[in-house]
Amino acid sequence: MKIENQGQCLSISEIPELTAVNSANFRDEVRAVLPGSPSVIEIDLSQTRFVDSSGLGALFALYRATAQRNGVILRLLNPRPEIQQLLELTQMQQLFEIVRR
Amino acid sequence: MKTLLICPAIRPAVPQLAEDGPLALVPILGEGLVGHWIEHLAMLGARHVQVIAADRAEQVRSTLGDGARWGVQLEVIAASLEPTLTEAAAHYRTDGEAGWLPAPNDIVLMNHLPGCPELPLFESYASWFAALLAWMPRALTPARIRASEIRPGIWVGRRAHVSPTAQLIAPCWIGDQAFVEPGAVVGPGAIIEDRSVVESDASITHSWVGPDTFVGPMTAVASSLAWGSSLTNWRSDSSLRVPDPFLMCSLAPPPAALVAAPVYRTVGAPTPAVASPLNWMAAWSEPTRRAPDSIPPT
Repeated sequence: MKIENQGQCLSISEIPELTAVNSANFRDEVRAVLPGSPSVIEIDLSQTRFVDSSGLGALFALYRATAQRNGVILRLLNPRPEIQQLLELTQMQQLFEIVRR
Repeated sequence: MKTLLICPAIRPAVPQLAEDGPLALVPILGEGLVGHWIEHLAMLGARHVQVIAADRAEQVRSTLGDGARWGVQLEVIAASLEPTLTEAAAHYRTDGEAGWLPAPNDIVLMNHLPGCPELPLFESYASWFAALLAWMPRALTPARIRASEIRPGIWVGRRAHVSPTAQLIAPCWIGDQAFVEPGAVVGPGAIIEDRSVVESDASITHSWVGPDTFVGPMTAVASSLAWGSSLTNWRSDSSLRVPDPFLMCSLAPPPAALVAAPVYRTVGAPTPAVASPLNWMAAWSEPTRRAPDSIPPT
């Protein structure tokens, strides 16, 4: 996983999967850089092939953490169609701004 | 009167529908595709039905039986390839046209539902879903009494359980022995097949939920085909194997062949005796050992 702090934008990419194996690590690493007060957090899911409920839980934890910071925008970039389906099935697409570039 | 039904074999556009069985048996509003056709042809006067199956013919044979259920004599013929109408006529209708149903019901390729040739089933998931929606008002034939139309455009199986707080929006179909739990929203354009469960606060819109499928609480199935743990969006053709059973899973019992497999019996049988200390204690405290001939007949 790669985390880049580009000024006000925190970019997270190269996530091959978000599962019970790595979701706690993902959550902790992202939380560790949140005190830098980014105004935009972008999670690039273009390389993410598999997400399970633990991965969804990690994304939700991030959503809750950013919801406490007014004005922070949380974006999911380019999720694969099957990941988009999972977000829709769980209605989590309502929580995130999903962007295709 | 005789008739010949050709089962569709492989249809590359809809692989998910043939995952667990041949397309001829794919469930449509409580009945397999071939069942709808046999019933239709029996009502037209067919008494001898031959079914040509190139895909999993044994499964088709064991499901259909001898045809007594429809009042016909039924024969399932296994073929290596799906024949065209011309090939089927040349191979199987060698006794001329006498005694056969008039065309087009003499030889039928089951690519559509009876009376709906303009709605192909297997060209895409979208065409499949459109054909099912169009078929909904015709699905209740005099021979099918397991469902009724409780309100215009809302059909519910007689043994289905629908919570009073669930919302049903026409058109929708809830199959026999299906459960729709409190707060769930079914419809518009929703089909819940037999024995499926839609949990509380879930929503099913413009979607088909296959038989024996569990849809978890607060999930939203939209523009999709959901069957077991397989979810296919019919608009985008994207497919997903849902990873967590509390979201969606199959309720069907495991295949009998798997349960009865010798390896399972061999490994499984002594496991409880080995695993449970109470079993060992019970065996140890057995006061006498009975001779085999002293066991009373059951």
